[in-house]
Amino acid sequence: MLSIAVLLVAAAAAYGVAQLLRVPTIPVLLATGVVLGLSGSLEPELVRDTLVLGTTILLFATGIELSPQRTRAQSRLAVRVGGLQFLLLGLIGLGAALALGYGPVTAAYMALALTASSTLVAVRLLQRRRQLYEPFGRLVLGVLLLQDLLVLLLIPFVTDLPYGWVPILTGTFATVALAALAYATFRWAAPLMERLDTEEEVMLLLLLGVLFLFVGLADLLRLPLVTGAFFAGVAMARFPLSGMARAHLSSITEFFSALFFIALGALVGVPSFLEMLHAAVLAGVVILFTPPLVILIAERAGMSSRPAIESGLLLTQTSEISLVIGLFGLIAGQIPRSAFIVIALVTLVTMVLTPFITTDRMVWWLMRRRRVRSVPERRRTDREARPSGHVLVLGSGATGMPLLETLLGMGHEVVVIDDDPVVIRRLRDADIPCLRGDASDVELLRRAGADRARIITSTIRRPQDNRRLLEYARGVPVLVRVFEESDAEWIRKLGGTPIIASHAAAAEMLNWFDQQFGRAVERATVGTETPLASG
Amino acid sequence: MTDFPVLQSLGYILFTAAVAVLLLRLARVPTIVAYMAAGIVLGPVAGVLTMTESVNLIADVGIALLLFLVGLELSLDKIRGIGRVALLGGSIQMVVCGAIGWGVARVSGASAGTAAVLALAVTFSSTVVVVKLLGHKRQLSELHGRIAVGILLVQDAAVAIALTLFAALQAPQSTGVGALVRGIGTALAGMLLLAGAAALGARWLLPRLLAWVRSSSETVFIWSLAWCFLFIVLAESVRLSVELGAFIAGIGLAQLHVAVELRRRVQPLVNFFLAVFFVSLGLHLDPASALSRWPLVLGLCLIAVVVKPAVLFLTVPRFGFDRRSAFLASISLAQMSEFSFILAALATAAGVLDSGMQSVITVAGLITIALSSYLIVSGESLYARMAGRRGRPDAVPGAAEAALDRLEHHVIVVGMNSLGVRIVEELVRRGEAVIAIDTDPTKLMRLPSRTLLGSVDDLTVLEEANFGSARLVVSALQIEDTNNLLAYRCHRAGVPVSIHAYDLGLIEELKELGTEYIMVPKHDGTRQLALRLRDAGVLD
Repeated sequence: MLSIAVLLVAAAAAYGVAQLLRVPTIPVLLATGVVLGLSGSLEPELVRDTLVLGTTILLFATGIELSPQRTRAQSRLAVRVGGLQFLLLGLIGLGAALALGYGPVTAAYMALALTASSTLVAVRLLQRRRQLYEPFGRLVLGVLLLQDLLVLLLIPFVTDLPYGWVPILTGTFATVALAALAYATFRWAAPLMERLDTEEEVMLLLLLGVLFLFVGLADLLRLPLVTGAFFAGVAMARFPLSGMARAHLSSITEFFSALFFIALGALVGVPSFLEMLHAAVLAGVVILFTPPLVILIAERAGMSSRPAIESGLLLTQTSEISLVIGLFGLIAGQIPRSAFIVIALVTLVTMVLTPFITTDRMVWWLMRRRRVRSVPERRRTDREARPSGHVLVLGSGATGMPLLETLLGMGHEVVVIDDDPVVIRRLRDADIPCLRGDASDVELLRRAGADRARIITSTIRRPQDNRRLLEYARGVPVLVRVFEESDAEWIRKLGGTPIIASHAAAAEMLNWFDQQFGRAVERATVGTETPLASG
Repeated sequence: MTDFPVLQSLGYILFTAAVAVLLLRLARVPTIVAYMAAGIVLGPVAGVLTMTESVNLIADVGIALLLFLVGLELSLDKIRGIGRVALLGGSIQMVVCGAIGWGVARVSGASAGTAAVLALAVTFSSTVVVVKLLGHKRQLSELHGRIAVGILLVQDAAVAIALTLFAALQAPQSTGVGALVRGIGTALAGMLLLAGAAALGARWLLPRLLAWVRSSSETVFIWSLAWCFLFIVLAESVRLSVELGAFIAGIGLAQLHVAVELRRRVQPLVNFFLAVFFVSLGLHLDPASALSRWPLVLGLCLIAVVVKPAVLFLTVPRFGFDRRSAFLASISLAQMSEFSFILAALATAAGVLDSGMQSVITVAGLITIALSSYLIVSGESLYARMAGRRGRPDAVPGAAEAALDRLEHHVIVVGMNSLGVRIVEELVRRGEAVIAIDTDPTKLMRLPSRTLLGSVDDLTVLEEANFGSARLVVSALQIEDTNNLLAYRCHRAGVPVSIHAYDLGLIEELKELGTEYIMVPKHDGTRQLALRLRDAGVLD
């Protein structure tokens, strides 16, 4: 009990520090673990058990997050981007590890560890920034799923490397078989489990039963247990079961992952100078190569610059699964302790840096760098002379189309700016003047004649992107559609006219409500004069 | 997996438990019994599993977390009014049952020491079993639930004293009366210390700390668990039980408004750890040597299942409680405690008990726990039958009160962004009964309606909002999975639902899920924008 208490108090402290410094919790937990390990107050038995249990549950939870359904929309792009990035970064990582003097097996482990990006970090950042459902968010999710699958598929290759081809092939075959079983469970067993929604305890037990069934099978097939845990997660990733599972498992995951990262830190201990140096080199590889690789591949595949850049930056870290790979190699006695420490350090450093790498500022810095190369795109914009007296429409998704047609029908001169290649193609087909790119790009605004327009409408996704527009087009009436009321204030201050979509939607919904439920149905039986805990 | 004993044992335990629960569910067997059955299959029958230290630890953590959860349920106003019955009624029950148990043991030929251990073992009821089953029926905060928990806590305090005594008696320099006084003194002083620390923390420290991190529910969760384990360590250091420490830590947090949310988050953790605990109970079983002393086993069972509730049922109404609550509270306590297993193990180690006696206690304990779980599950119908025969049906107290608290024909609005807040305000203006739900307490402040803190991914949150009787559920959330799950659940429950489609790509799936009205701010905002263009003379 005392040791669990120590782990938990350390975790609590780490959460506090992470909150204070606004960095992800994982690296702070690791660092706290290192300190705790130094004090020598942990029993090695407990550390080991926590690590084993923690990995299993963590990988299970990761699997549940990665629903094949959810990434379907961007799956082809994800396969191209993820596959190429995985391959290239893996090769570069392998080269770097060999150059640092590691043996082939250890280098293979390290390369594998470098290729995966963190689902935990990326999903949490996407959620916090509400970007999970932007096209690039879906791309990132797809890439993460692919990376994890590839890593698991390659684990037998790495572990059996010293023993020749036969075990490698059987291992790969076993992995594929387990994946097939996971798919079958996803397809046929998951819908049956959904019916137990109301019985919390039974549901939880069933989820854990499935987890350990897969872990046990993985053991029988001589696969790493994490493979079993991950596939068990993917098998449960079917909607609506995934949502129920997440609700049932969230506290258990939170509890064990907190203890896991502390224990991992304790296992790592204080690195030597050489280990730090190697970690710095490999972290450099991740940071210098991941964004350009992803950006180039994604742009090639038809994505516009900004989402490509954002995807690249968001994937710039190694993963919790990298730690698991390292741990696995260490326990199997295939890699030296120092190699494991290097992997852990790389993960720690890259995860800490992620929030600082993925800032708007960094995106723009890279955008400016990209501009030279996006010339071919620009050549196709047919307008040489800057328009004036026109209606400038920023962002014209499916909702903007009818408005656009009305405007054109009335004989207005219209210019559209949009960042979606599909929208731009459609507009060009309809012969509507348009520019592809980001609405917060001042150069683009200049070419679109934003300062000389009659009126501007903006329905772009992120409210803060209107700032540059409002500053640039002073004097021109600008109508800005926003969702949150809190954005209206600063838009008004900058001279724009906010249109609060949430209020418009609420009004429409209440119209419907009045028709459906108003007057005709009897009033609610209990009044609202007793507000409950609203202070 | 053989390299990882913890994972192997846990795997066996949880997988077998899952299968057992699933199979026995068809015969309406309580989960506790199914767990113990799984344990018996794994241990005595198949012999594939032995206890490791880690599994033991997991089981202990389960008990601690359960008591933490019980503490979380008890805000001070719930404890008020049951102190007397718990203290006096509990004491009377312990003395009577202890005496009868001692007598029965002596008659069957046990030595004085053995009889004392058996008497202690049969006196106490199982907090874990009672709380788990009553909690499952959501009756912990009803009157009989509170009475039962009150008596259990008094028993726990007595257990703490008994354990200190036991430890003192084993020490070589101990003398009878001195050890007794010292034991009671230490235990009481320890309890005072813990309670004082909890009260101070709850008053000065926790509100500030939790207010600082309230926007991150993970941090609140981990901090609360750390708080719980700090008290466990503190309790151990003053030789009190882990359970008592966890319980007091829970009570400290129960006074804060995060308690509701925290309870929901601790519950799955408890379910996980407790499953291991109950399976491990079955593992210990050694039926052969107990069978040879079956009269004693039968005697112990009768005392626990018949005498104990009878004593309580005669005592509790004298403190001014109605017969129904007294009956339900009494039959809740009709079992032996898992503490008796610990006691038996200690006594065997100390040489007071022979190992055959230890398995007598274990078998009697398991039988009574299994029996009482049926009693608790069917408590109301038993009472109805009994009261019917006597022709004196009691009015059900508290029922009217409960109904007042449950909204009907109300509207549930989830997600307090601009959309959610506006809808809540407008609905309240129309005189609707509204419950607003969000995971962030700051967003629930200053709303004109009732509020509920929590995530609707969690079905219990929806149930707490009584969503089955709502006339409409609205979600303004911008989280696809949560929205879809909500739409799915509402559709299944036949409740109309309106969901926010913050992206046009979401509409199709929401339609498939049977959403009655889909809010599309992008559409409505653009329409508004067109109106403004008309005002500006651009459109006519």
